Amino acid sequence: MAEPTGRFPARLIPQMQPDDTMLVRQAAGGDQTAFRLLVDRHSRSVFRLAFRIAGTREDAEDVVQETFIRAFRQLDRFESRSNFGTWLYRIGFNCAIDFTRSRAHRETAEPPDVLDQREDPAATPTGHDVVYAGQISVQVQRALRALSDQERTAFVMRHYHQCSIDEIGRTLDLKTSAAKHAVFRAVRKMRVALRPLVTSQGEGM
Amino acid sequence: MTPLDWHPTDEDLTLHAYRDNTPEERAAVDRHLHECASCAAIAHEIEALQHLASAVDVPEPEAGFEDAVWARLAPALPHRAAWPPVRRPWSLRQVVAVTAWAAAVGGIVIAGYRWNSSGIVTPVRQPTAVATAPSQAQERVLLTALDAHFSQTEMLFVELMNAPDDAAGSLAFERATADDLVQSGRLYRATAAEAGHRRLTDVLDDVQTVLTEVALGPEKPGKQDLAAIRSRIEDDDLLFKVRAVTNDIRDRQQQPGTNEGAL
Repeated sequence: MAEPTGRFPARLIPQMQPDDTMLVRQAAGGDQTAFRLLVDRHSRSVFRLAFRIAGTREDAEDVVQETFIRAFRQLDRFESRSNFGTWLYRIGFNCAIDFTRSRAHRETAEPPDVLDQREDPAATPTGHDVVYAGQISVQVQRALRALSDQERTAFVMRHYHQCSIDEIGRTLDLKTSAAKHAVFRAVRKMRVALRPLVTSQGEGM
Repeated sequence: MTPLDWHPTDEDLTLHAYRDNTPEERAAVDRHLHECASCAAIAHEIEALQHLASAVDVPEPEAGFEDAVWARLAPALPHRAAWPPVRRPWSLRQVVAVTAWAAAVGGIVIAGYRWNSSGIVTPVRQPTAVATAPSQAQERVLLTALDAHFSQTEMLFVELMNAPDDAAGSLAFERATADDLVQSGRLYRATAAEAGHRRLTDVLDDVQTVLTEVALGPEKPGKQDLAAIRSRIEDDDLLFKVRAVTNDIRDRQQQPGTNEGAL
């Protein structure tokens, strides 16, 4: 089932922004209940973006936890004129990036036989795979995982969260042109990786 | 200029697909795609990619997800104003892994010594003859490992405390070291907790929190990030605690009950 690709909790932002700002202020002053409400409102959205970048439910849950810990530590830096959701998701993206880098470090430290047992994320979809519609999601996930951290994050931000190139650049600490090219590279690689799916869909029409 | 006087690049078509071009550019590309089959094929492939990518399932968190997040999060939040000091909890995954490891070796490894309330390691007074040999060997292994763990931790903290702010971009090695220490620290902590060594467990907990911050922190921390880590190390007296524990461990290694030749 296709997930709505609307921007971070777009339908929630307009009416909740004032409340969020107030809650941030209260949480920064030591009000635990206020921060709990912020967690309740935004944890699912953070989970979704984390899952798309980290790739597994377990890792995404770790990213959610780390995102809110970092956000909590930085509450004093939140500017009330900003949108809390956007601010939080930027932290979430950075946490997810850091997490995947950390995971890569741990994985390369593991014995080769352990790594060999894992699924190759860059594996090319076979004809058998593409027969099954349910495999589309798996193949897209594989293609996403085969991207570099920077490319994957740029693609996820642009495609799933409709972030502007400027926003992507700010999150990834890239100039606008570099952010744009990160999206270009991601799209090109995704096109190549998913071409068998596109072809099989076209043949089926 | 006719639509076929030029061909949009892949980048142009990607911008077009995501509506990141100007209205004028969009109109020009649309006119061209209407006339040029090869460019239209590329545009079609990009649109297909967009369609496929949007079809990716993201598992919806189960009911009660927010409660579960908060249950993990609340104890891990740093002290702020009226909040009580708390510690970072383990994820379910980590708990399962560590518990399995601790169940395998934990209960017996530290059985040869005890950690008294002042933090000094002292041998069990009356070990049985049968139990002494294996427990001493196991103890030596653990003490050596703990010594290395805390020594590395101390070096890392010293490096972080003394790193110049403008060298923040070169902390990749420190992050990797912290990550390794986090992994091993979990096992030692589980073993210590299993054996009921409260003080050792507490020190490992305190250290683990900062190590995790470093390991999962930004690769290029800003001055504020570094300052926060240093403040944590100073406020919690972590260097003092680590050095004290290291000294205790080394004292224990020097005691006659251990076979120094094996260390």
